[in-house]
Amino acid sequence: MTTDLQTEPGPRAPGSPPALEVRGLVKHYPGVKALDGVDLVVRQHEVLGLAGENGAGKSTLLKALVGLVRPDAGEIWVRGERVRLRSVVDAADHGLGMVFQEQSLVPNLTAAENIVLGSEGPGVRRGIYRWGTMRRLAQEQLDKIGSHIDPLARTDSLSFADRQMVEIAKVLRIEERTAHPPVIILDEPTSVLESKEIDTLFTQVRRLREFASVVFVSHRLDEVLDVCDRVAVLRGGKSVGEVLAADAAPAELHRMMIGATGSEDHYHDGAAERSGEPRRPRLVVRGLTGKTFRDVDLDVHAGEIVGIVGVHGSGREDVCRALFGAEATVAGEVVLDGRKLDLSGTRAACAAGVGYVPAERKTEGMVGPMSVADNMTLTKQHARCSGPLVRPGKQATLVDTWIERLSIRTPHRGTAIQRLSGGNQQKVVLARWLVAGDVRLLLLDHPTRGLDVGARSEVYRLMRELANSGVATVLLADSLEEAIGMSDRIVVMSDGRATKEVAAPAGAKPTPLDLVKEMV
Amino acid sequence: MSLRDAGPPIALVVVFGIFAVLSPDFRTISNVQNVLDAAAVLAVVTCGISFVLMTGSIDLSAPGIMGASAITVALLVANNRNDNDLGLIGVAVAVLLAAALGCLSGLALVVLKVPSFMATLGVSAVGLGVATLLFAGVQPNITDPMLEGWAVERFLGLARLTWIAVACVLLGWLVQRYSRLGRYAFAIGGAEEVLALSGVRVAPYKVAVFTMAGAFYGLAGVLVTSQLGAGLVQAGRGYDFSAITAAVVGGTLLTGGRGGILHSAVGVLLVTVLTNGLVQVGVSPYWQGGVQGLIVVAAVAAAVIPQRRRNQVTK
Amino acid sequence: MKFTSRHTGARHTAAVVGVLLAAGALTGCTETAAGSGGGGSAEAGACDPADVTLVGQVRNESNPYEASWLDGGDAFAEQVGLTQERLTYDGDSTRQQEQISQLLAGDTECLVMNILPNGDSDTPPIVEGAQDAGAYLVTQWNKPADLNVADYDHWLSHITYDGVESGKQIGDALAEAIGGSGGIVALQGILDTGAAKDRFAGLEESLAANPDVELLDDQTANFSRAEALEVTKTLLTKHGDDVKGIWAANDDMALGALEALQQAGRDDVAVVGIDAVPDALTAIEDGTMTATVSSDGPWQGGIGLAIGYCVATGELAVEDIAGEDRAWFAEQFLIQQDNVADFVSPVTSEDDFACGNLFSRSQGAIS
Repeated sequence: MTTDLQTEPGPRAPGSPPALEVRGLVKHYPGVKALDGVDLVVRQHEVLGLAGENGAGKSTLLKALVGLVRPDAGEIWVRGERVRLRSVVDAADHGLGMVFQEQSLVPNLTAAENIVLGSEGPGVRRGIYRWGTMRRLAQEQLDKIGSHIDPLARTDSLSFADRQMVEIAKVLRIEERTAHPPVIILDEPTSVLESKEIDTLFTQVRRLREFASVVFVSHRLDEVLDVCDRVAVLRGGKSVGEVLAADAAPAELHRMMIGATGSEDHYHDGAAERSGEPRRPRLVVRGLTGKTFRDVDLDVHAGEIVGIVGVHGSGREDVCRALFGAEATVAGEVVLDGRKLDLSGTRAACAAGVGYVPAERKTEGMVGPMSVADNMTLTKQHARCSGPLVRPGKQATLVDTWIERLSIRTPHRGTAIQRLSGGNQQKVVLARWLVAGDVRLLLLDHPTRGLDVGARSEVYRLMRELANSGVATVLLADSLEEAIGMSDRIVVMSDGRATKEVAAPAGAKPTPLDLVKEMV
Repeated sequence: MSLRDAGPPIALVVVFGIFAVLSPDFRTISNVQNVLDAAAVLAVVTCGISFVLMTGSIDLSAPGIMGASAITVALLVANNRNDNDLGLIGVAVAVLLAAALGCLSGLALVVLKVPSFMATLGVSAVGLGVATLLFAGVQPNITDPMLEGWAVERFLGLARLTWIAVACVLLGWLVQRYSRLGRYAFAIGGAEEVLALSGVRVAPYKVAVFTMAGAFYGLAGVLVTSQLGAGLVQAGRGYDFSAITAAVVGGTLLTGGRGGILHSAVGVLLVTVLTNGLVQVGVSPYWQGGVQGLIVVAAVAAAVIPQRRRNQVTK
Repeated sequence: MKFTSRHTGARHTAAVVGVLLAAGALTGCTETAAGSGGGGSAEAGACDPADVTLVGQVRNESNPYEASWLDGGDAFAEQVGLTQERLTYDGDSTRQQEQISQLLAGDTECLVMNILPNGDSDTPPIVEGAQDAGAYLVTQWNKPADLNVADYDHWLSHITYDGVESGKQIGDALAEAIGGSGGIVALQGILDTGAAKDRFAGLEESLAANPDVELLDDQTANFSRAEALEVTKTLLTKHGDDVKGIWAANDDMALGALEALQQAGRDDVAVVGIDAVPDALTAIEDGTMTATVSSDGPWQGGIGLAIGYCVATGELAVEDIAGEDRAWFAEQFLIQQDNVADFVSPVTSEDDFACGNLFSRSQGAIS
């Protein structure tokens, strides 16, 4: 924690008037309540942190603040005036601007153009660019944040950190539109930066506070506490409280984010059925190296569920995809049941008995317009074929058996899978590997993403069923809670490396906090 | 110019050098003039299409728009079909008609959400339809001395229409470099959604890009009419794909956001030198099509490979 | 008037007889047609002349030659008191087939079609369709060599021109124009078409007969005026003053070559082409172009309809058409400055379309 902040006068005063106020904001999406009555106050000249797990509603809230999402209910007030934000321009007119997580610069334009894009003012006269003026306007913005980037450099030739500076310089243009100090929202600004760059960013954020309010969002709680004055926590689309950064520890914040701890056994009622005796590992990974991960070692035994946890950018998704042959590797060896696994492509992985449930269910996990039956038997055509011919009768019997066993709620096996609810879709996707019958390693990338509680528990039951049948499972859980609850062992990844392994047998589960310490 | 943009110019120099070594006829001044004259029309068409490609759309409307403009101009300047003698005004009207047809493509794209491939194909058919109606069975031959002079009279060794093409390239470059339209066209191809996030309404710029492209095709139709001394419905036949080829060979990406007028001009020269050189060195006409295709694919592959690597690194 | 050399004596008689026969059939055949209707395939010759539908189909009206073909069809239709349906398919084979199937899906009993198939391979489906529907069909220019007209009784005739002959005719005219010796260049058509191959073979025959004429270069300009312009410019820089003549496989390319010559300031080069498009005729009149060959588009447009009409109305029976008239080369005319005036405003002669005169221009069966 930095101490110099606390010596600064004025701006941090808790009593400074609110620059932005959110009251009871609600936003529904089909099947999901993204925002469920959020309240938030951003004071003038403060840095407010926003913390919450994936799906807590952070990004929906931010989008609502810059006019990209229109809330179903609730109010947004700017300096005592209620506003309705219809577009980014609208928000800018009220002094609200955001630096987007996925960088929102046009890569093939110059930094100067990006900075003034959409509000070129005197930089363009009658449609003609005045590069000199343009450069000067951009330089003014860059000077505000003390950046030394060449305004006429092409954006895609800049480092990520410099691009971030360009984004901040750009968002500060909203000062031109309003007489009041602006509110600048930074959504996960550190996710693409290296630590030295992060320091520079934080200096900027503190500098911004001199003339603006800042909303700072990050997964990394230490960062949040480091740079913010106050932290508001969201959980399940609701505001669950706030802390003064000076008084808080990451652990406390995390507890607020995930709610009550200690409910993890709920996930794991089947664990006792599995014998704890040591066996030869079914999957052995040694020194696996790819673009975003290095020297990853991993063992998974038959019937074991191993969770991999890590923050955004830790590389765990890519490891998972690499094991399925869907992500290139440059070094390392993977052995499945004593045989070297060919990582050159997904076909080879499939043939070797590796199953993969992708995070992007709708685009990668299923073929929307095809029937439940066809989706279920997509991988192993031989389950319903003899030779090249489809045998509909055999397919029907097989599929009906699994629809019943998994209580998949579908009008008929011929129904298009896209008409089913998310949970039932996911059950069909999982059933694909059950139908195949010879899956030895199952890679689950966020298998419960977007599912409601009921559907989640059914997916958990299925996962256990698969594990009990001897399948080795690698799980990238949606939350720490889930990872702890479902896994027998947890591997922590950080910056592309497997940094720590934590045992998580039933009855001796680690707390989320134990893991967070290793993750950040 | 960065290293990866240097590929096409290098290819141009290499191809030119090879032909110059192989054929004494190729390296004569008069043949170089001939190559430049021959590149003129394609250069003007490619100017137009480059802006469309920069935005990430595609444009197949050149044949129709050029045909309509060719017939229009032939009927408006002094000709053997009627008593019109509008001279430059006739040229302006033809270019305006072409711009209107281009505008139609743009509107179909942004208002009706027709993919540019289909929208421009449709507009091409409309243009050919207009041309056929105006054509009415009798070819209009021009007798306008100014327009005929464009193809014949020379300035510094090059035909006037070659200088017109040079002016078009220059104008195109200025638009690309110094106008909001040009810069936004570039940006639309780079990251359209970012423009929207920055509060820029993209649709009018797209329409403007197609309109400008139409105007370039219209001028190209006029140039063809000047060259052939007659307004032909088929004045633009084949120019759509030749221009796309030239632009891509020059380093403009079909996905948009990269390349530009100067790239395309290099591509035009490369394609024209190739066509001319194969004749000069005496490659059998039965082989030329295939050889030309192979060289084009090789040139594009050479230009794209460094790009692909780059993408892999940053992805 | 053109084509005055043939059949001057028989012309009037034949026309009168033709009209009388048609008038006689007017009353006689109506009942027969009504009686046999519905079967889709009427007895040959059972049609009331007023019930005959005439269809002419070409690629494009924007092509002067093809437009004149349709005009010839109109002239014939007017002659027998009918109108011709003018169809064009923009050189798109699929569209041609669609138009034909649409026609054949309608009333086909007395349908007469004079068709320019887009390519050789487009002919068989058209022939089969006409045969099945009982429509009368005449095709021109394109036909696969192994498709035999005599195997069908509704495909009445196929007319084409001997490309070798036309290529040779203009080759000889070119040789003569340059005084029997010197260098020439050739502009070929689309290389994989029969027309381009045959015409070039004709040039080679002509070269063999004129040993002092040297072929300096041959390039393709794909029958296109604009491409010919560029190719000719290139060839002129390559061969310079050695070029005394340009042989083009069609007039469009010849006209492109003329532009190139004009732009290069050369007026000492003879140019020949094929097709007799209006601009080429003008150029021959002016003396800038040496020769072209006419297939007589208007006659082509009329003759196909005339053959179909004569058979449909019973004036001519299919089985009476001689085997050598089922697939034949029609006469073509070399046009030079001395006879160009006869061709400048093409007109059709009614007598050419009289049922007794249909095959008078035959130069023999297609071998």
